[in-house]
Amino acid sequence: MFKNILIKSLCITAILFLASCDDKDEPKAINEHEEFSRVTIKVTKEDDQSFETHEFEVEGHDHDNTNNTGNSGDPHDDHVEIELEANTSYLFEIRFYNDEDPNNPEDVTQEIIDEADEHQIFYELTDGANITISSGPGDTMDRDSNPLNLISRWTTTGAGVADVEVYLIHEPTSKTGTSRDDFGGATDVEIEFEAHVE
Amino acid sequence: MTTSFVFSQDCNLTISGKIIDVQHNSPLEAAVIEVVGTRLAAVSDANGDFILSNQCKGKLTLKISHLNCDDVFREIDLESSSSYNFRLEHRVENLNEVVVSKLRVHELSATSKIHSLTELQKDRFSSKGLAGALEQISGVTILSTGNSIGKPVIHGMFGSRVGIVYDDMLLENQQWGQDHAPNVDLNTFENIRLIKGASTLKYGTTPGGVVVLASILPKRVDSLYGKTILSGMYNGRGYSAISNWVKSYKSGAYLKLQGTVKRNGDFTSPNYNLTNTGNKENNFSISLGKNGLQHKWKAFFSYFDTEIAILKSAHIGNVKDLLRAIESDVPLVIDPLKSDIDFPKQANNHYTANIEYTNTSVVNGELHLKYSWQRNHRKEFDIRRGALKDTPALDMALNTHNLISNYEWDTTFGNFDSGVFFQVQDNYSSPETEIRRLIPDYLKTKLGGYLTATFNNTKDFIFEFGARYEYHNNEVQKFYRDSRWDLKNYEAPFRKYVIREEKSQKLIKRTLVFNTFSFNAGVRHSLSPTYSINVNYNHTQRAPNIAEMFSDGLHHSLASIEYGNPFLGKETTHKAVIDFEKKAGNFQFSLTPYIIVGNNNYIVNEPTGVESTIRGAFPVWEYAAVSALFKGFDFDFSYAFNAKTQFRNSTSWVEATNTKTDLPLVNIPPLTINNQLQFSLPNWNSFFVMVNSKTIFRQTQFPNNNFDTTVIEDGKIVTKTVDISTPPNGYHDLGLELNWGPYPLRSSNVSISLSFDNVLDASYRNYLNRLRFYSDEIGRNISLQIKLYH
Repeated sequence: MFKNILIKSLCITAILFLASCDDKDEPKAINEHEEFSRVTIKVTKEDDQSFETHEFEVEGHDHDNTNNTGNSGDPHDDHVEIELEANTSYLFEIRFYNDEDPNNPEDVTQEIIDEADEHQIFYELTDGANITISSGPGDTMDRDSNPLNLISRWTTTGAGVADVEVYLIHEPTSKTGTSRDDFGGATDVEIEFEAHVE
Repeated sequence: MTTSFVFSQDCNLTISGKIIDVQHNSPLEAAVIEVVGTRLAAVSDANGDFILSNQCKGKLTLKISHLNCDDVFREIDLESSSSYNFRLEHRVENLNEVVVSKLRVHELSATSKIHSLTELQKDRFSSKGLAGALEQISGVTILSTGNSIGKPVIHGMFGSRVGIVYDDMLLENQQWGQDHAPNVDLNTFENIRLIKGASTLKYGTTPGGVVVLASILPKRVDSLYGKTILSGMYNGRGYSAISNWVKSYKSGAYLKLQGTVKRNGDFTSPNYNLTNTGNKENNFSISLGKNGLQHKWKAFFSYFDTEIAILKSAHIGNVKDLLRAIESDVPLVIDPLKSDIDFPKQANNHYTANIEYTNTSVVNGELHLKYSWQRNHRKEFDIRRGALKDTPALDMALNTHNLISNYEWDTTFGNFDSGVFFQVQDNYSSPETEIRRLIPDYLKTKLGGYLTATFNNTKDFIFEFGARYEYHNNEVQKFYRDSRWDLKNYEAPFRKYVIREEKSQKLIKRTLVFNTFSFNAGVRHSLSPTYSINVNYNHTQRAPNIAEMFSDGLHHSLASIEYGNPFLGKETTHKAVIDFEKKAGNFQFSLTPYIIVGNNNYIVNEPTGVESTIRGAFPVWEYAAVSALFKGFDFDFSYAFNAKTQFRNSTSWVEATNTKTDLPLVNIPPLTINNQLQFSLPNWNSFFVMVNSKTIFRQTQFPNNNFDTTVIEDGKIVTKTVDISTPPNGYHDLGLELNWGPYPLRSSNVSISLSFDNVLDASYRNYLNRLRFYSDEIGRNISLQIKLYH
């Protein structure tokens, strides 16, 4: 008798479960709206307002050392080169995009401007080129009047080549510094290029 | 000659048994049982067990004393070696009521060592959580994430390899996650037991071990009683209040209510504040039931709700941030102490509703029927920007329905337990996070049955066998990014499962079936009344969990990308445990060597390459099946100098190797030695002191998972190694605990304890803390606990 009760109740429960689970919806695809997928740097020569825009795009490729599909994602292999003239002043305007949904590309730069206190852009250069970087006209200031470097002025003197690392730092512990270590915080974007001063 | 022969015959009897705290139905450790007028005495162990050997035939008086109690006397007319249960009422006014009954206790296993926490051991961690309480048992360590998230590790295994059973059901709370602490309140249950190994197959197939939290049934009397624990702690500026109430009736009906409230602010290490490390917890449970003579039923509902802050400096963006954190001696974010919980954090809740029925009128046995529902909702918040600031980065709801029925029966040649079970589990990962799912949506159906048998009719041997079969059906719906799909060549094996394609992603719907068969065999041999040996063999098969097969995402605090392996098969482990035990006299010990073998299908997570994102390159970790060998031992001994002074030691060592590569496995606990001295003062029975000294050695067996990155330093590009492998130095942790009571207070009893953790305020880091790269462990803590029995 107990077996009967047991089997019956098991069957009833099983039917209930399966009935409720059959119409399970297909999951929705998720587009990550937070991650950046593209960064542009517009380099404008201040003398004649001529400009050139450089794109940095690193998709989430896998790069097993053994399984390289040839679509290199190692940022060191990207070798974006930005040519600059010696003894000249340029404006570097950096913008951040999310292209995850190709039908609806987003410019995330405004979010960074809205949360200026919590963000900082920092260019870290190796020795090799004489470049001075300062905040440019139209740059965003945070509450303490620290420039974010969204627009920066690059003044070159002598010729040379420098490797440049560009960081977007979220919640930095310091808004000023001379090396990446000084800023703390979490790195949200890290791209690199070579600055050629000729 | 003749006289002495007769004398030795008559004085060869043993009195063994168990001391049980009747109010909490937990074993009472450190009770001293002595034969009045002789110098023979025994001390009850952690399971409440004691043995008095070399007793003579005839009348004798036993004196039972306990540190917190007045002495109790009991007369016994001894005719042959006998077992007795001494059920001590823990309350002062009732101490003289000792109920003596012949020993017959239903245990989880008759041939494995069962570790029970005493009420004192359990209450000590009432405000700190389950993993901490279990760590008092040798061979159990904690895998932690910061200072508030801890998972029990048994013999080097954790997560899906350790089962946590509460109210007779396996806890389903995304236990695969290394930073997922068990979502259960230990204060809801009176009784906590642990078996190292799969020697009970009643609940599941967990090769590491099983932790069983159980409630006790109130007696059939008209009564209203309970217990309230109030705690305050200096480090963390925290407090907790825990209260239990039981209303029982002569008819067998009862109502139990329990609630827990905990709050902690930021903790401090000896040298700095641990910014954003507070936590809070609100738990509630209610049991309603009736213990009839032939029919018993019970309804149980519990709600567990916790919010845990994650160390701010552990939120990093890329591997260079990790490198910077490792190279810095102090956390990179140190703010003034605060009590609120900021991002990053976890917010989890767990609902349980069980209903069960027991019929004891079945021939020689009991029939149980139970339905159980669990809902686990886990939200993990990162530091995000803009409109997504308050949106969790991970948001998963796991619903589990269980239906189980089992039949326990006794015959003249043995005791048996058989059961069948049916489980449906549904996981939903919310797309509202706008971060791709770490774990896909799935629907799991599990069904099967088990049988355990204990044969104890042979004089000095007990044999035990168990078997369990499980059928798993996982219906998984997962999105793969095209880049991953192409890289791993999933087109050939998985094209047939694709049900939708969109925006560089493919949705597959795939059904994975696993059949697992586990069994165990054990024998317990009493070499003499005081010495016994247990030998157990567990053959365990475990279906890979969803994370091992399908996880897909970035771990912020470890700056790594983790991928599941969809080709994994079931994991088979063999575990052999020997337990050699002396459990009588002033000197008692137990030595437990063990070995665990996994051939070709032991699942581990290992680094396999590098993946580039716009944040830079990240190391990729993937699940893989390897061969593994664990060997280790636990050693416990205790020595009672006298009724008031006792020394205990426990030592645990384990080594685990990937036998394919001959490299050590990661996150294996280092050698640990615990020493404990407990004493009370003469003529002051209601006070005792406990000194705890814990030595954790440096782990010397570890794999090298380091990787390189480049940074600009002094105007040059330099290559640096990110050292995530080297274990921190060993350390010594000294604790002190003072206990007063119980003292009568109106109609209640009150006891007070004052404990000091990390008395020396030592700075150290713990190899098994996943946030060890960022900060030291917490410094000195002083806690005051007031316990009221009402």
